[in-house]
Amino acid sequence: MSLRQSMAGLHTWGGLLPSWLLYVIIFAGTLACFDKELERWMRPALHQGVASSMTADQVRDWLEANVSDELHAFWMHGPTSREPFWRLGWEVDKTEEMHNVAFDPASQQPMVETLGGGFFFELHYNLHGGTLGMYIVGLAGMFMLVALVSGVIIHRRIFKDFFTLRPNANGQRAWLDAHNLFGVIGFPFHLVLAYTGVAIFVATYMPAGAQVAYNSNVEQFFSDVMGAYNREGVHKPAAQQASLNELVERSRQHWGGAEPGWISVHHPGDEAGVVDIRRFDSSRIAPPLETLSYDDASGTLLNVQNASAGYRAYTWLAGLHMAQFGGTLVRLMYLLLGFAGCAMLVGGLQVWLAKREARGTAGIGLVRALNGGVFVGLPLASLALLWGNRLIPADLTERATAEGWVFVGSWLLLALWAVLRRNQPRSLLSQQLALGAVLALGLPLVNVLTTSHGGLPSSLLRGDWALAGIDLFLLLCGLLCALCAWRCGQPQQAQEPRARRVLVEEAL
Amino acid sequence: MSKNLPLSRWSIASRVLAALFGGYALAYGFTAFFSVYLPLVRADRVVFSSLACFAVWTAAVIYVFAARSATRAWLWLVGLTAALCLAAFLPTELGVRP
Repeated sequence: MSLRQSMAGLHTWGGLLPSWLLYVIIFAGTLACFDKELERWMRPALHQGVASSMTADQVRDWLEANVSDELHAFWMHGPTSREPFWRLGWEVDKTEEMHNVAFDPASQQPMVETLGGGFFFELHYNLHGGTLGMYIVGLAGMFMLVALVSGVIIHRRIFKDFFTLRPNANGQRAWLDAHNLFGVIGFPFHLVLAYTGVAIFVATYMPAGAQVAYNSNVEQFFSDVMGAYNREGVHKPAAQQASLNELVERSRQHWGGAEPGWISVHHPGDEAGVVDIRRFDSSRIAPPLETLSYDDASGTLLNVQNASAGYRAYTWLAGLHMAQFGGTLVRLMYLLLGFAGCAMLVGGLQVWLAKREARGTAGIGLVRALNGGVFVGLPLASLALLWGNRLIPADLTERATAEGWVFVGSWLLLALWAVLRRNQPRSLLSQQLALGAVLALGLPLVNVLTTSHGGLPSSLLRGDWALAGIDLFLLLCGLLCALCAWRCGQPQQAQEPRARRVLVEEAL
Repeated sequence: MSKNLPLSRWSIASRVLAALFGGYALAYGFTAFFSVYLPLVRADRVVFSSLACFAVWTAAVIYVFAARSATRAWLWLVGLTAALCLAAFLPTELGVRP
């Protein structure tokens, strides 16, 4: 077997098996480029863009008044242009329980619960499956790296094929062209994103370095690499607490006027409590590593972070993956290239199917059911989630959980539908597209009807493009779905079979 | 098209296992070895070797499927991993130097 043939086998099967999982990861990550805009869309209290007048001390006061457990830590983030509200999170001592609250800028009280855009972000990096999910995503990332490298090896005519698209060729040829086109366009992006994606959790995935060089003392490793400050709690209540507002002000002066980002307090109220204030700067690819650590009781400056160059390189790689730099332009580019990645996966699966449909290989029904259930089911379930966000009553307890069930429940139904109709893929797709058109075109309408300031007319009037962009994107998706559903419904024209060369990719 | 017969089921299963577990083991051995022997300060040794480990794993997977036989792939992976790990874990004082 030649190298190219063995790589073609690796690419076909190593690409096929994780492709549905990779689709979920890439699709969710692509949406997460605009997670903060989506979150604002999902929280009607933020539609008008009222500036929050809360301060760090007021956020802490709310926590002290409403939570009586002893806390391991709490953290908060002030309003930014993309997230115009205070967020607060805390972890109860000796448990893994995390809680999150977002404050309404106008009333300074917690906002109506929602999963928010963070739902897609978490789906992207751990499938909402905790540490196990993180390992599964990491393994999928490795499959993607291998698929990219083996794809290049088998792709002899990479530049020639880039300029080749023959939509009128027979099905398999056209899908292969599409797969190659999207694969080649996105290749550098996908390679960088797959690599930086697995690199973000490198400390979890690959513990060998800390084991041999730090005798498995992970805390010492982190403090050495990150230059971070760490102090154990002593479980003795402190006599006093420093004002967070004052520490924020002192940090601002320390940085010559730069803004703080995350403010976190470890062992709050303890004699050994530590306040960390991180610098915020969205004009850099990596977040500035200039955390200041203060004593929670006296407010004395304990440590100025001095990160190693290696850690700065790591945060730069992670920053490249997270797309929190470069404003809307970069996020739009990541969005388009992310969708190109999804299209590449769909195209690849269609090549696999088109080649085997004629032969009637076993497993075609399974692949078709998975295609319909995941490739179309996931986007439709995401639209259903947004419908749930608008239609679930605001006063429902555990509202975010209810939204999660809308997503999961609708996805299960869509998957079941795809399984039952797996032998009529064309009519299934055209009906799914029609449903997609209804869901996507309906959302801007529901938005107008259920919110007072969030509808497209009022957000356009205010010139609020971040909010209007979501509605416009939904309208565009709805129109595209409608167009494709109509095209799909047309009778299929019989085409002359054309003579063609056998390619290496097809030969297996 | 091909003069050789397609790979047997055993060969494929063996290669898949070698790619997943053997590939990870080699990446592990690589990270441990370079975290000990690179002439850099401790933090940089660890960060550089750890970040490079994914490239090693990818290369190992490509090699496993390109290799002439599954046994050959296993021998190379196990041999290299054993050598790297022995060299990394035997001198306990060398790795923890600052």
